[in-house]
Amino acid sequence: MIRLNDLKISYRLGTRTIDAVDGVTLTIPDNCVVGIAGESGSGKSTLMKAIYGDIQSPMYLSRGSIDYGLKGADGSPVTAENVRKEWFKTISYIPQSSMNSLNPVIRIREQFIDFPGTDSNKKRVLERARDYIGKLGLPAEAMDSYPHQLSGGMRQRMMIALATFFQPELIIADEPTTALDVVVQKDILMLLMELQEKMGNTILVVSHDMGVHYQVTHKMLIMYAGRVVEYGDTDSVFADPQHPYTKMLIDSLPTIGDDSMRGVMASQAGAGGDRAYRVEPNLIEVKPGHFVAQPARQKEEVLA
Amino acid sequence: MGVLAYVAKRFGLYLAVLFIGLTITFMLPRLMPINPVDGYIGQIQSRANGTLTPEAIAEMRANLEVLYGLQGDIFTQYLSYLKRVIIDFDFGPSFTYYPTEVSTMIVTALPWTLGLLLTSTVIAWLLGNMVGLVAGYFHKQKAASILEFIGILLYPIPYYILAVSVLLILAYIFPIFPLSPTFPVGEMTWPKVGMIIYNSLLPAITLVLAGFGWNILSMKALAVATTEEPYVTYARLKGASNWTRMTRYVFRNALLPQVTALALSLGMIFNGALLTEIIFSYPGIGLIMRTASTGGDYNVLYGAITLSILAVATAGLVIDLIYPLLDPRIRTK
Repeated sequence: MIRLNDLKISYRLGTRTIDAVDGVTLTIPDNCVVGIAGESGSGKSTLMKAIYGDIQSPMYLSRGSIDYGLKGADGSPVTAENVRKEWFKTISYIPQSSMNSLNPVIRIREQFIDFPGTDSNKKRVLERARDYIGKLGLPAEAMDSYPHQLSGGMRQRMMIALATFFQPELIIADEPTTALDVVVQKDILMLLMELQEKMGNTILVVSHDMGVHYQVTHKMLIMYAGRVVEYGDTDSVFADPQHPYTKMLIDSLPTIGDDSMRGVMASQAGAGGDRAYRVEPNLIEVKPGHFVAQPARQKEEVLA
Repeated sequence: MGVLAYVAKRFGLYLAVLFIGLTITFMLPRLMPINPVDGYIGQIQSRANGTLTPEAIAEMRANLEVLYGLQGDIFTQYLSYLKRVIIDFDFGPSFTYYPTEVSTMIVTALPWTLGLLLTSTVIAWLLGNMVGLVAGYFHKQKAASILEFIGILLYPIPYYILAVSVLLILAYIFPIFPLSPTFPVGEMTWPKVGMIIYNSLLPAITLVLAGFGWNILSMKALAVATTEEPYVTYARLKGASNWTRMTRYVFRNALLPQVTALALSLGMIFNGALLTEIIFSYPGIGLIMRTASTGGDYNVLYGAITLSILAVATAGLVIDLIYPLLDPRIRTK
């Protein structure tokens, strides 16, 4: 269980500071896939970086704390101070740009063993990794190839293999399927979900694609302007969105054969130009496990 | 494509470049509206006040044409030129140092030039790349900009000013090195080798300093760009150490264009030799070329130009053969 306590993360820009994430208080349960949605600049990536423990200048934690509630490889609890030592052991990361996240001039097997997580016995790690990628639908030779010899889907499979190989407790996937075509996208997501079910760990999936969220996540976290606007079970959020921003995101999902979308999109585009919601930091539990940022009576209020 | 096919293709290209280069060096002087034999005979005749008989002139013409390889039509000349240059490496005798063969002069001077310039170019490249890599990899830290400053300081100084300044400082003001170097001849012994190295150090230092700056700046720029690549960020998020990321990720990728630069500068070695060897009276190809160009010693110039063509083409071949080893993406194409 990961607890975020009143998290405020800022960027220093000369004499100015920008609060990218402001007052986020959340509990992420174990064994659960959490989808994170929100427009660009809403603070998704900053929040993910903070949870991953990759806080470096100009970004800094100006308030709050993260309780990981995880145990590291050596049995000691993971804290914000030692989380970097647990990278790719207890906490992993799947990058967005799988196409160029692998070093183009070095064989993939070398990239499987060039970080501290694999320090113990590189030969054995490599042997096990060969077996492991086989289970993920990759040929064993893929280990000995260079990144350019693999297709986009294979490369992303490789990233998932790297991220899941050490059975981490927490995986952060930053738009893991954005660069892939729809068919491969589905395969990759299915693979990720299958692995999650086996490992019983927690995965945070950042995506702009509400369809992806609906298919794979157990819980949804909607962010807007550095704050959480809605957080709850995916079914509940999709069936009964409380916040107008969430509604708009869900309405943007196209339905086959639905001509009315054209009109909806146009009206949203018109409203979207000067759209701005007031988001309060305090979440209100409207249903068990379903939190919304502002009282229901305010939810229709849209500041122009 | 197999390795053999690749090498064969590159080697074929190499031969073609050499062939074209040699052909151009053959054709260019012959496009000039002067016939050297006519000119020479005219000179002699004017000295003899026109007393030469037509028979004597015809005989002299025949002799000169044989001597210069000018008998027969242009195609025959071309074939005999190719035969001489490629098979015998024969450029005829030097005019100034008659009857010394040009090939002998070149073979004597070549080890000196290669020894000095190859070593200093490679050292400048290695040092410059190391400094540039550190400067580029840590570009967000202030201390790294000092390293870049070295490059910015050294790079724009023209070589002749740099060389003369170093000569002034290290040989005249602080006489650590000899002002005019002496190089022993004859059989090599260890003391002689030491003496040669001692006497070559000063020109070597100037060459390293001159090449160093450019390499720092170039590597720094490449390394900065490479540190922003997603694969370097991903390596950092994997927890890979700074050393791993700097060497295996940034350096290995930024290296590729720098290898091209190294090979090209090795090909241009004889251009650099000219100035260095004049300033430091170093007995290499550059000194020979200079004497030849002031004395109108065509054969020696021919030889030196051919050598330059050979050097540039060979450098190109070496890049082509090394590159696939460094960049796997080229291997499969």
